[in-house]
Amino acid sequence: MRTLERHRRLQDIWASERGWKGWTSSVNHTDLGRMFLVTSFFFFAVGGVLAMLIRAQLATPHSAFAGPELYSQFFTMHGTIMMFLFAIPTFEGLAIYLLPKLLGTRDLAYPRLTAYGYWCYAFGGTMLLVSMVLGIAPNGGWFMYPPLTGPIHSPGINTDFWLIGITFVEISAMAAAVEITVSVLRYRAPGMSLDKMPIFAWYALVTAIMILLGFPPLILGSVLLELERAFGLPFFQVELGGDSLLWQHLFWLFGHPEVYIIFLPAAGVISTVLPVMCRTTLLGYGWIVAAAVALAFLSFGLWVHHMFTTGIPHMGLAFFSAASTLVAVPTGVQVFAWIGTMWKGRPDLRLPMLHILGFFATFVMGGLTGVMVAVVPFDWQAHDTAFITAHLHYVLFGGFVFPILAGVYYWLPHFTGRQRFFRLGEVAFVLIFLGFHGTFLAMHWVGLLGQRRRIWTYETSDGWTAINLVSSVGGFIMAFGLAIVLIEVVLCFFVGRRMPRNAWGAGTLEWAMPTPPPNYNFASVPHIRDRDPLYANPGLPVQIARGDGYLGTPRHDWRETLTVEAARGTPDYIVVYPANTRLPIVMSAVTGLFFLSLLIKVYWFTPVALAGVAVLALRWVWVLGQRQDRGPLDAGLGVSLPHAAEVDRAPGWWGSLFLLVADAVLFGSLIFGYAFLFTVAPGWPPPAWFEFSLLELGGGVAGALAAAAGMRLAIRANRRGGSAWTGLAIAGAGALVVLLSLAALLVRTPPPSGHAYNATLFVLGGYGVLHTLIPLLMLGFLAARVSRGFVSAARRAELPIAGLWVDYMAVVAILVLAVAHLPGVAP
Amino acid sequence: MKDLVRILIGPLVWLSAFSAVYGLHGVACAFGWADIDAWGLSLMRVALTAAWLASLAVLAVTVAVLHSRRFGSPSGFVRGVSIMTGWVGLMATLWTLFPVVVTSTCQ
Repeated sequence: MRTLERHRRLQDIWASERGWKGWTSSVNHTDLGRMFLVTSFFFFAVGGVLAMLIRAQLATPHSAFAGPELYSQFFTMHGTIMMFLFAIPTFEGLAIYLLPKLLGTRDLAYPRLTAYGYWCYAFGGTMLLVSMVLGIAPNGGWFMYPPLTGPIHSPGINTDFWLIGITFVEISAMAAAVEITVSVLRYRAPGMSLDKMPIFAWYALVTAIMILLGFPPLILGSVLLELERAFGLPFFQVELGGDSLLWQHLFWLFGHPEVYIIFLPAAGVISTVLPVMCRTTLLGYGWIVAAAVALAFLSFGLWVHHMFTTGIPHMGLAFFSAASTLVAVPTGVQVFAWIGTMWKGRPDLRLPMLHILGFFATFVMGGLTGVMVAVVPFDWQAHDTAFITAHLHYVLFGGFVFPILAGVYYWLPHFTGRQRFFRLGEVAFVLIFLGFHGTFLAMHWVGLLGQRRRIWTYETSDGWTAINLVSSVGGFIMAFGLAIVLIEVVLCFFVGRRMPRNAWGAGTLEWAMPTPPPNYNFASVPHIRDRDPLYANPGLPVQIARGDGYLGTPRHDWRETLTVEAARGTPDYIVVYPANTRLPIVMSAVTGLFFLSLLIKVYWFTPVALAGVAVLALRWVWVLGQRQDRGPLDAGLGVSLPHAAEVDRAPGWWGSLFLLVADAVLFGSLIFGYAFLFTVAPGWPPPAWFEFSLLELGGGVAGALAAAAGMRLAIRANRRGGSAWTGLAIAGAGALVVLLSLAALLVRTPPPSGHAYNATLFVLGGYGVLHTLIPLLMLGFLAARVSRGFVSAARRAELPIAGLWVDYMAVVAILVLAVAHLPGVAP
Repeated sequence: MKDLVRILIGPLVWLSAFSAVYGLHGVACAFGWADIDAWGLSLMRVALTAAWLASLAVLAVTVAVLHSRRFGSPSGFVRGVSIMTGWVGLMATLWTLFPVVVTSTCQ
């Protein structure tokens, strides 16, 4: 097949619909990555305007610009938008756009999930914007501490917008995290072993795992606080056995890793762009990977350093103070590796490099003030002052915005196929750098003089007037700089010059394709032999276009790619992607109706929306699979591989595995909350423990074990060519028994609004019921698939996926029943 | 996937140990272990110190296992990175939990 013919065939197969309709039906990672990035930068602009409103208010004492209520909405929405609607989605967008191109594959693991995640983000973000336009935006600060945000002190709908809107948006983060984890581990070009992975992929992998572990506590906290607000379940009310500190634990279990979830992708951009700007390769690749992993894990041991002033015993403070100082070590390793890279190469002060230098200056200062606030006595003095606000902006703006701007300018030719025409970016950089430091150096100072964060006004006699004015002027200078960046990017789309391929002279695979990239990325999937494939083989782009790699000949109009074994990168199986569909946008809209029904308290509609999501989910999976065995398929280069439906560990299995890891963290956080209230909350023990029942406990445990055994029987029988029906029936019967045991727990739990113990039991029971209904739904689905001929001894991939969920149900059910029944046995 | 586990295991064991010792500290304070005598020390100090030493032992074994030919990765790169992250876990356990022997307990 000729090169041009191959291009046309692939383009026909992979093309999105033309025009605006294509936005709603595209499942292509290039389209969705761009949509994510454009949307996230729109939110960045909104958050920036809010920042200017804050600085306008604080520029002078007794400003008449905004009253305290409006000001509270400004700072709450500024923080919320920047954290949840700009920083995380920008990482998601960049990773979604770049990863398949860097990894040498044609798309991410779950294209429809990418689209679903985007629409959840867009709809959830819109929900928050609507609240702002209506003047009922969240106003309790971006970390929403109860009791201020509880039903007594914040009775309006403002807080509900935050709790429900952010949870809706977080579906997007969780979807992206599962997608990125599976994609980096399995969807790479053959030959790309772990040591040959581009460094950005390592950072993306580590960040995605952090999201899987870090976001569930926040989701749980939001659910618990909304349950308290809507139904009176008193998790955070001391007089009824709750404790407001539980929120702080759950929030910061998310909140501190969140800082590194934001920083690490930016560090990935630095590690990718810096060597190209210095005309060399990255120094200390292995050390950087180890440092990123270390940083990710250490960041989970820091959460209490946000709670140093809450009266925690000295020993607890010392644990977290020590961990907080330790985190500087892996950060330092990365910084020194980057300095070494510059030393090794010949730095070229082009625009991305200017932003990298801006990053160095700003982030290192932010890191040093971070060590200061890690020391308990200093933190006691600086806590909740403008010093902390300044510190976090040095870390987040320095550690994220400067690197992302470097990345924007570096990959702009890739996004657009054009290069900058006007040299506005250099002017913008100077304005941003000077404006930023003018704003936040001043804010450190005024914080040390005693100005608390989040105050809406101050007295002339406080002596803060001149400093605040300097800070506000700096803020507006920075805003001008960022506006110029926006103008230049827009201009580049329309009037930029055509960019030659790989104009930066980079070694990574995203530059081995024409720009802007075709939807299929690679005409054939290359075999990788080096960490910088284009340095090792400059002729690789031509070979790829000529079809000299894997899957170079399109067949059956399939959107094909292949997966690899995670460590060594040997080819594993062929995946056929679903084509364009509006199922993701419809499903996210119905998911939005579920959240909306909770927000406006139309509770009769909530189960209807949930049923709608379940029906759409069944439709989602039903259209996959095949009714005939295909056997090994030719993958090119003399390699034959099985179809993904004919393996034990299909993409769905891997996705379920990582989703269940996140689910287990949420469950673990719930158990932690129970243990925390049990041991720390003043209103314990509760008036009465749940009454022990041997029948319910024993029956539930037996049912759980039977269900897990039944699934194993079904999988084994099917693989041997026998019938899966017996095993499926046992698994279904076991799950039904589990459901009855958990339903009994819900029915016999004393009124959940009476005490935090009752409320906790109720939520545990509800969690168990939900995680029994899901496997039951899956078993029903499997029964339909078996009867319709989708399952055979070869086409076996769907059974182990349901097996994972049944196993998880069994573990959860046994633990829930144990923690509910056993305390009632103790004397 | 085994190689990924090798890379993550050291910090993961540290995180488990750190959470467990912090949890034990909370339980011990709640149940008054600081006021119970055990071999001339408080029961709390003894329990926390024992937990710390046990964590260090587990991490030391983990590092040794990652070094070993039998369980270490056949890939030189993964072997190097996993040994580094193993040492991170060990040193983090030493540094972040040493307060169990030097600070006041429940004040």
